[in-house]
Amino acid sequence: MQIAPILAALKKHRMATFLIAMEIALACAVLCNALYLVVERVRLSHVETGVDDDRLVAISLAGVDDAQAVDLGPRLRQKLSSIPNVESVAVANATPFGPQAGEAGFRIDPNDPVYRIQAHFYLGDAGFAKTLGLRLVSGRWFTADEYAPVDGFLPKASSLLVDADYASKLWPGQNPLGKPVLVTNLTFRVVGVVARMVRPNPSPFAATNSFITPALAGKGMASVYLLRVAPEKAQDVFARATAMITRDEPSVILDATASGPLTQLRDAYFANTRSMAIMMVGVIAALLLVSALGIVGLASFWVQQRRQQIGIRRAIGATRRDILHYFQIENFLIVGGGIVVGMVLAYVLSAVLMKLYELPLLPAYYLPYGALILWLLGQLAVLGPARRAAAVPPVVATRNA
Amino acid sequence: MLKMTHLSKVYRTEVVETYALRDFNIDVNEGEFVAVTGPSGSGKTTFLTIAGLLETFTGGTYHLDGVEVSKLDDNARSRIRNEKIGFIFQAFNLIPDLNVFDNVEVPLRYRGMKAAERKQRIMESLERVGLASRAKHYPAELSGGQQQRVAIARALAGSPRLLLADEPTGNLDTQMARGVMELLEEIHREGATIVMVTHDPELAARAQRNVHVIDGQVVDLAEDPRFHAQVQAGRVNI
Ligand SMILES: Nc1ncnc2c1ncn2[C@@H]1O[C@H](COP(=O)(O)OP(=O)(O)OP(=O)(O)O)[C@@H](O)[C@H]1O
Ligand SMILES: [Mg+2]
Repeated sequence: MQIAPILAALKKHRMATFLIAMEIALACAVLCNALYLVVERVRLSHVETGVDDDRLVAISLAGVDDAQAVDLGPRLRQKLSSIPNVESVAVANATPFGPQAGEAGFRIDPNDPVYRIQAHFYLGDAGFAKTLGLRLVSGRWFTADEYAPVDGFLPKASSLLVDADYASKLWPGQNPLGKPVLVTNLTFRVVGVVARMVRPNPSPFAATNSFITPALAGKGMASVYLLRVAPEKAQDVFARATAMITRDEPSVILDATASGPLTQLRDAYFANTRSMAIMMVGVIAALLLVSALGIVGLASFWVQQRRQQIGIRRAIGATRRDILHYFQIENFLIVGGGIVVGMVLAYVLSAVLMKLYELPLLPAYYLPYGALILWLLGQLAVLGPARRAAAVPPVVATRNA
Repeated sequence: MLKMTHLSKVYRTEVVETYALRDFNIDVNEGEFVAVTGPSGSGKTTFLTIAGLLETFTGGTYHLDGVEVSKLDDNARSRIRNEKIGFIFQAFNLIPDLNVFDNVEVPLRYRGMKAAERKQRIMESLERVGLASRAKHYPAELSGGQQQRVAIARALAGSPRLLLADEPTGNLDTQMARGVMELLEEIHREGATIVMVTHDPELAARAQRNVHVIDGQVVDLAEDPRFHAQVQAGRVNI
């Protein structure tokens, strides 16, 4: 109700108003983007893998050479299967939350000369789908004759499975079955769609861009073994498996960071994400604190500067509440101005981040949240000075301090 | 209209207690024009701030328009200041951030008046003080006399029944002072009660009644020995 005269009075303090509004604008831009990154990271730590995390134990070997691999693959699969409580074993090139072994560029249009898109290609033997607990949503599983030996880093096969969500991004609105995927000199066709298959290193904006190809254990396919067990047996089976490898296979080296019950690999993987998120929350908090201090500082200065004028207002009829509201509305307007500019800045910043880190553009619904947080922050920060202003007695009007 | 009996006001600091007013008695009737004179530090401003509900008092009673004001809470006091009282200060006390129009509007907004009525009243009172053409000027762009006229317009806009003026011409030259005084007389003729503190005996003489304050008390000039002592010491001009 007093907006017009408050704006009129602010015209006399353009510089300070402008500076504080700009501070708010910057805070708004950083806040919205940082909030987005944090939320995406937190959301990521709850990512669904599509596999039975608690029923899987991963064994990863480091530095397996081709000569060794030819019979190491089948032999280890056999030995791991015979460990008590192991329900099934899959040989693969990678495990969720382990190193990415099959990242490759590909095309889906045979006429496109450039490999524009990247995804992770899992290689799995005949036990892969069953051991991991994958679910098929359309098409079919691989047939026995489709499993092929690895040549280079992919099997010389012609069919693959794709994650459902990723398929809908690659071929929006189309049936992915039968679609071609071209990598180097190989052409795969989609024969089935699985409900979900997380990539080894899911990131906030790329969690399931993955394919599964049918490969035979042996050369190029002897590094990763996934064991299916009852959840409560995972730790025990892992201990037995490592003991067996140390005893029977002195020439291989266990990759400790990518071996263990999958739930443990998962926790280790997200410990990083969590500390990153905590750090960003810290940055956000520091930013908000600085903005709040700026507001407190300016408001306190203005209250001091306008003591006489507050006394005059009180003398000619303002109640304490009127004075309190004056400073609150003033703050609301300044922060509001900052927020409007800040929303534009938020998108500029988001566009830059998009270019640098290939992040998607900031979703619009972060803007009202950012605005709300800053408005509340502003009101909180101005409350102290505004209350001090409201406490200025009307007699100040007559006694020129 | 305004009646104080045995009123006292004590200012306490850590070291001293100052009796700014003691056993202060005054009775101003509706429609009167009273000039308050007295030496510096005698308590004139203190009297006006209490009369105008800007400050509370220590002892005695004060009835304003028949209401015992010590019983009122802060909001009620604000409302009375807003609706019944107009203030004119020596230092004009305009709000420097607002132009003339907005300055006059301030008390009307606190009254919650509708925009159309506000505008009409503002223009009327600015015309009254001869400054309608300066509505968009800021206080800093006006002479002292003009600023005081704006302050009077602000006090008048709310049609107060009681006008309190603390040395309204104290910062003005004789010419401007005369103009302001004429304005006050005109307002008085229209029915307002005016209490004006002044050091200027010429202006005081134009009021209907003079009240003299010495050492925080109203005194009868002819009888009070303190007054004669002050005159002899050269501290009071007659
Ligand atoms: N806030 C205060 N704290 C302490 N003493 C005060 C305060 N305000 C006024 N006084 C004292 O009260 C007494 C009366 O002051 P007051 O301002 O009413 O005098 P005055 O008659 O208006 O003087 P002048 O003509 O100089 O304006 C003075 O002694 C003054 O020092
Ligand atoms: Mg005084």
